[in-house]
Amino acid sequence: MSAFDRLETAIHRHGKTVGLALMVTILTLIWIPIGVVTLMSFASEGVLSFPPETYTLDWYVSVLQNDTAIDATLTSLKVSLVATPITVFISLIAAFGIARYDFKGKDGLQMLLTLPIIVPLVVTGVAMTLFFGRIGLSSGFSTVLIAHVVRTVPFAALIIIPTVLSFDRTLEEASKDLGADELRTFRRVTLPNILPGVIAGGLLAFTISFNEFVYTYFVRDTATQTLPVYMWGLIRDSITPEVNVISVLFLLLAAGVLLIAVSLTSLKRLILRG
Amino acid sequence: MSVTNRGREFLKTGAAYVREHRRARLGLFVGIPASVLVVFFIFPLVTMAWMSFLSDMPPAPLTLEHYLRIFTGDTYLTVLWRTTVLTVQTTVIVVVLGYILAYSIARFTKRTTIVLLLIILPFWTNYIVRMYALINIFQFGGALDTVLMAAGLAAEPSGIMYTHMAVLLGLTYVWLPLATFPFYASLTNLDTDLIDASKDLGAGPIKTFVRVTLPMTKNGLIAGIVLVSVPAFGSFVTPALLGGTNVLMVGMVIEEQFAAAFNWPFGSALGMVVTAIVVLIVGLGFWLGAGGQLGGDAE
Repeated sequence: MSAFDRLETAIHRHGKTVGLALMVTILTLIWIPIGVVTLMSFASEGVLSFPPETYTLDWYVSVLQNDTAIDATLTSLKVSLVATPITVFISLIAAFGIARYDFKGKDGLQMLLTLPIIVPLVVTGVAMTLFFGRIGLSSGFSTVLIAHVVRTVPFAALIIIPTVLSFDRTLEEASKDLGADELRTFRRVTLPNILPGVIAGGLLAFTISFNEFVYTYFVRDTATQTLPVYMWGLIRDSITPEVNVISVLFLLLAAGVLLIAVSLTSLKRLILRG
Repeated sequence: MSVTNRGREFLKTGAAYVREHRRARLGLFVGIPASVLVVFFIFPLVTMAWMSFLSDMPPAPLTLEHYLRIFTGDTYLTVLWRTTVLTVQTTVIVVVLGYILAYSIARFTKRTTIVLLLIILPFWTNYIVRMYALINIFQFGGALDTVLMAAGLAAEPSGIMYTHMAVLLGLTYVWLPLATFPFYASLTNLDTDLIDASKDLGAGPIKTFVRVTLPMTKNGLIAGIVLVSVPAFGSFVTPALLGGTNVLMVGMVIEEQFAAAFNWPFGSALGMVVTAIVVLIVGLGFWLGAGGQLGGDAE
């Protein structure tokens, strides 16, 4: 028996065990950093020593009493809650345009919608700053909002376009045959059918907007400090234990939004498009 | 009352007009999304391209000096080379680990959903938070030092912050899920009858993998490579937080030109070079057949 044959036999016999072992190892490695952050958020000594010797909830209390952190959270929420509906609206009408019309440049529009994902964030961030400067739009809430819409539209569109494309249009015709007008048909037939996909796209847009850092970093003014920008400052200047707490809060938020999104649409669609 | 009535009337006429005129409707459906992206994404890039040919802040004469400066001196070629090396290393590691992960999820485990959730959840968590989590581990006296010392592999804490290794591990950490998903998709789309046929015909697992599985998942593989190498090449946050000035990547230099050096035309030229390289990677990916997986078509 040659060495190659022996190897093949070994893989045949133990391939599954080795594969599963590797999978568990990789998953563990992915989760260790997050576990360490969570553990450190309860450490009374602060950020320096690992593992912590005693535990406390003090850092959670101090985050809740930290006005700058709370302001940053509110700014982030304000930006994301305004940007998300705009993004969903833009993605939705683009989806209807692509699904229902034949027009020249359809491929071009689809490409335009995905292009912001491709160009490096730092390049687009800088380019936007230059452009806003040229047209005299001063940095602030509006520039951050525009940046967030540009950042989130491609991702929302990647979920919402397939949703609208896969909607069975004969249902609309049936509704119209039964005497419903266009508006009624849209409200009672089209919308309920595409709603889960649209909400999932919106949740993805919200998550990306709430976590957005690079664009915001470039186009913001000092008054518009979002939570990720605040985090960046904390990490760069002086690491305080509060960073651990904010990290845990970000993780919980991601888990919550992800579970809602998964329950509304298939996990596969989120994974392959998000 | 009459004002609202008139407003309602106006909306009705407008809606009727749009309904009856296909062009108007198309203009609305296509025009709004297209113009938002053209004005706020394409125009900025055009502004940057124009700026990259100016000798100084506008108004200024046109020049090629910034591009010459990038490609003639050692400084920026070194940065571009380091960026390329880190991108290639990251992509290779991520592709190998991602493929193992995707293969095991697709073939070996029944708990697919929970495993996929365990991979996607960190990916949905804030990027800076993930970097900070790694700092906790990499820093002097951090978790890595604790483990190495406990295992007797290190005598005293050293940490690996601000090293090439730290940046490489950081990039691998954040981009692993992005490659795993297209790999997983192409593996689940693969007809398992083909695998059985190959085995029935006497091919062992290695031969089957090399001759059947790998070629059949080629497009997913290319998509994964593109999805990882593109953001890795343009990354700025990871090298800035984990590498510092020791491991300068091109994204950091661009930021520095705008935030610290105030040489906007030069920063713009660097930005255009990075964009060109990234577009080249994506174009190559499409040409090699990853188009379907990179977006565009329906499932």
